[in-house]
Amino acid sequence: MTDTSTSSSPRIAASARTPLWRDVIILKWIAQVSLLIVVLSTMWFLANQAGDNLRARNISTGFDFLNRPPDIQLSEGIDTKPATGGRALWVGMVNTIRMAIAGIFFATIIGVIVGLARLSDNWLVRRLGSIWVETLRNVPLLVQIIFYFSVLTSLPRLGLVAGPINGWLHISNKGISMPRVFISDGFYQWLIVVLIGAVAAHYIRRHRTRLHDETGAQTAPTLWALGTIALFALVGLFIHPVFSWVGGIFGAIADLLDSLPIIVPQVLLCAVALGASTRWILRFLSAHRSVRGHLSLSDDDWFRIIFIALASLVVVFVVVRWTGLSSWILNSGRDLFGVMEAKFNVDGAARPFDAMLPDIVQKGAFPNYGKNGLTMSIGFAAVFFGVVFYTSAFIGENVRGGILAVPKGQTEAALAVGLTRGQTLRRVVLPQAFRVILPPTGNQFLNLTKNTSLAIAVGYSDMVQVGTTMFNQTGKTLPVVAIWMLFYLSCSLTLSVIVNWFNVRTQLVER
Amino acid sequence: MGGFGGGGEISAMVATANIPYTPPPETPKLPPREWVKENLFSSKFNSILTVVSSILLLAIARGLLSFIFNPQRQWNATATNLRLLMTQAYPESQYVRIWVCVAILLILTSVSMAVWRTARVVALPDLGRRLLSRGAILALLTLLAPFSGRATLIWLLAAAVVAGVGEGLRRFTNDDQATTTLTLLLVTLSGLVGSLWVVPYGHHSFLMDRTPRVLAEPGTVAMTTKLPWTIMLLIAVAAYFLGGFLRERLPVNAMRITVLLLWLMAPPFLLYLVLRDPSFEMGHVFGTDIPIFGVYAVLGSALLIWLSRPSTGEAGRIVAALVLIVGFATFLTPMRMIVRLDMLLLAAFALAAHTFSGGPRAQKRYIFGWLGVLVVMSWMVTAINTPSTVKVPGGFFIGGLSLTLMVAIFTIVISFPLGLALALARTSTMPIFRLLSTWFIEFVRGIPLITILIFFSIMVPLFLPKGMHLSEVTAVVIGYALFSSAYLAENVRGGLQSVDRGQHEAAAAVGMTTAQKTIFIVLPQALRAAIPPLVGHCIGVFKETSLLAIIGLFDILYIARYVMPNQTEFMGSTKENVLFVSAIYWIFTYQMSKASQRLEQRTGLGER
Repeated sequence: MTDTSTSSSPRIAASARTPLWRDVIILKWIAQVSLLIVVLSTMWFLANQAGDNLRARNISTGFDFLNRPPDIQLSEGIDTKPATGGRALWVGMVNTIRMAIAGIFFATIIGVIVGLARLSDNWLVRRLGSIWVETLRNVPLLVQIIFYFSVLTSLPRLGLVAGPINGWLHISNKGISMPRVFISDGFYQWLIVVLIGAVAAHYIRRHRTRLHDETGAQTAPTLWALGTIALFALVGLFIHPVFSWVGGIFGAIADLLDSLPIIVPQVLLCAVALGASTRWILRFLSAHRSVRGHLSLSDDDWFRIIFIALASLVVVFVVVRWTGLSSWILNSGRDLFGVMEAKFNVDGAARPFDAMLPDIVQKGAFPNYGKNGLTMSIGFAAVFFGVVFYTSAFIGENVRGGILAVPKGQTEAALAVGLTRGQTLRRVVLPQAFRVILPPTGNQFLNLTKNTSLAIAVGYSDMVQVGTTMFNQTGKTLPVVAIWMLFYLSCSLTLSVIVNWFNVRTQLVER
Repeated sequence: MGGFGGGGEISAMVATANIPYTPPPETPKLPPREWVKENLFSSKFNSILTVVSSILLLAIARGLLSFIFNPQRQWNATATNLRLLMTQAYPESQYVRIWVCVAILLILTSVSMAVWRTARVVALPDLGRRLLSRGAILALLTLLAPFSGRATLIWLLAAAVVAGVGEGLRRFTNDDQATTTLTLLLVTLSGLVGSLWVVPYGHHSFLMDRTPRVLAEPGTVAMTTKLPWTIMLLIAVAAYFLGGFLRERLPVNAMRITVLLLWLMAPPFLLYLVLRDPSFEMGHVFGTDIPIFGVYAVLGSALLIWLSRPSTGEAGRIVAALVLIVGFATFLTPMRMIVRLDMLLLAAFALAAHTFSGGPRAQKRYIFGWLGVLVVMSWMVTAINTPSTVKVPGGFFIGGLSLTLMVAIFTIVISFPLGLALALARTSTMPIFRLLSTWFIEFVRGIPLITILIFFSIMVPLFLPKGMHLSEVTAVVIGYALFSSAYLAENVRGGLQSVDRGQHEAAAAVGMTTAQKTIFIVLPQALRAAIPPLVGHCIGVFKETSLLAIIGLFDILYIARYVMPNQTEFMGSTKENVLFVSAIYWIFTYQMSKASQRLEQRTGLGER
């Protein structure tokens, strides 16, 4: 067995190597490449077919409808008579985001209450929680939304004097109107004061935590931090005009961006892309190097390296060829800072917030809600209540599952040591339960955002409703569907990233 | 005590001591007064909560009951249109087909219940306690509802009867006496069907005279409703006893597989043969379809017999790859679709033959599988392509609840293999499979279902070559199945990741190929672990079929919201119809989720 050969590494005799048609690596790559060819050729075939059919019917596809007037009116939004198709779709997007954020906020609050109710000591409260969850989870959301809509449309008609609380809260078959608190001109200057307060709160919190660690006294660092921010917010309500000079800085930045040539962002983007990919590849290689310096890479690893390199080259190519991107970056940067400058150049009497009571005006034959109050139209109210109640049932179940996942021994130990039930819940159970509750609840937030698309059934002008109206008018179904998918994918991605960031911070660090 | 010397005696005592096993102490059942104090009024905060929630509960109950029993409600809209809600204008002359479908489904359900012994034992005192509480709740609701004096008395009497029976059972029976859930189900169903003959629900229908009007007579239900339902009940009971009889005589495993195959065959059979009544052109069938089937059956079986012998080596794999290439090549030349599909099917079986190879018995099973799938495929393609004699307004030949159930079942059945394939691709070691399936899954999971349904219902004709024609419902089912397969893939992936690494290593050590390991070792365990989320997903698919109403398909929600309030006699009846539809959905999904919880307990998931 000691026929030592003089070569440094053992080589397999050519006759003992597996033949090509049996080599697993080659077969696997053939299978993958053939699947890729099949998928790409099917997509090419479908695209060709669609192109032929569209040409036969004389329908053009293209995104030029975004710049032309759409001839549609929207039922509500920031702009009910949009001037271009793009503006109409933007109004739809804003409506969807508005509904999603409001929905997530209220659904979480109600969901946590429902989840805690299902675990309560009180038999009646437990039963109520179960009835809530079992009823709302098992009826489809669309049926619920349509039911709320048909109930809301049968409310009494609006008169010039309306109830239930005239001048403060109006409910009728035109919707619900309540007092509105809104951001006024001095808001951004006030925001700067609050930001300074946040920085101060961070240092105060650090100091109080250090004090607690050294002396063991109850110093309540979080409460002090929140109190600092509240103090600065209160003081800022009066002293905010002090910061009107910040507008000048933004103006200077806007002028600077205006004067830059296009080459600057191009060079920056290319440098960032190439630098990031090089750094990634180098770190990857050093992570895969053994202690002695050997490098052994599998197929997968080569694939990843080549993929990242190709991706960065594609980015460089796109940035160099498509100068519109760089000029767009410069222009929108200049516009953004120009807008920020305008927001700081306000007169000294401006306030951060303002409030207005709801009013009823008579335009034409029928009274309607005026612009002063916060009005929820019937469509908005139907979708809002439907989506909030439906998602709160699921979030309630997630909260209950999370709290039940904390071992019972924790509660027993906490009670044995002398904590009250409230302290046990707050300091022992909920922090551990949060880890289990967060991933499925993040999923429910995503579902809520996507469920707002059911607004098309009740006429609320969300993204799907506006898009459907537009492609019924112009016949441009494919571009509108593409814009839908892009919008919803970016919403899902953003929400996932935010939830994942919280997730990573709460997860256990294991080996 | 005695230090180490005494330890020997003590350990000897402990080793030989015979302590009888006693179960852990139960929490004692509290008498009613103590129970109320403990559960409802244990602290000041709890007392306030109890008072507030009881006021809330009573207010909601009273509001709901006043809404339902308000004399202004048009409940005869729902009662007159029940047939529309269930089957959407299926022609009266062919209605026997609907009843045949219901009968076949009931037979399959009863036989399954007999073969799988799903009956559970219910102790009589427990039953009595539950009846007592239900009677009390019924009495409370009667007092809250806005009934006339006579109606209130009748309902209170009924509540007293129920509570009395419950109390009697509770007091005069002990825990040894029990009945089964099946008996209870039979009693309930017989009671319901019997009430159709006895209780004056009223006879509601449209009278198609010169002036169409609504007929709403007091008295019992129409004969066209009473008689079929009674016959259905008798058929179901007979089928249960037949199932029980067969279970005693035949081997259980074979019976279970047969019943499962019958369940799998039932939806396409009922839809394409019974309900749709295709008018087969006998000449075409005998001249073209059967010869094609015959050629594939004979030549394909010969090829597969050769391929599924373990001694066929690499030549077999090369031949299988050639068949696959030929299968793809058939798409480049014009020929019948059935020939292309059968060739692809043969290619799939040829590639898999090596995994299932074995002795004569294994070969026989494989050939039977091939012949069975070929029969189903040929028959379905033929049936789909023949026109139907049933003409229904609204574009598709069924609607209402039937359409909802059909879309849900077909979506689940089609999306299951797709989702499985996607999940396997996503966890595979091959990068392109993994990337493609990940992109597909993340893309589909990021967009709402309604965009996919709108896209498929409007855009599919755009992507089809000239001459090919898909009905809107078919296109929508395909889109929904793609959507559902992405979510299914994530659930199955969770199950796949829960299988021990040791299983993979052991399979490799024994010499199994990847395909054999996946099919015989990994998937059974993975799918068993993934059952709870899978059942939840099926419930979700059933609920989301309500979105068909937005596209304009005549499902039950569309009929309730648009068709019925547009009838001149029943304008403005949207609220009642939508409430009825939500009650139907609630009953279905609640039963499905209860069944899923029972399934989890039966399969012992979570217990080692």
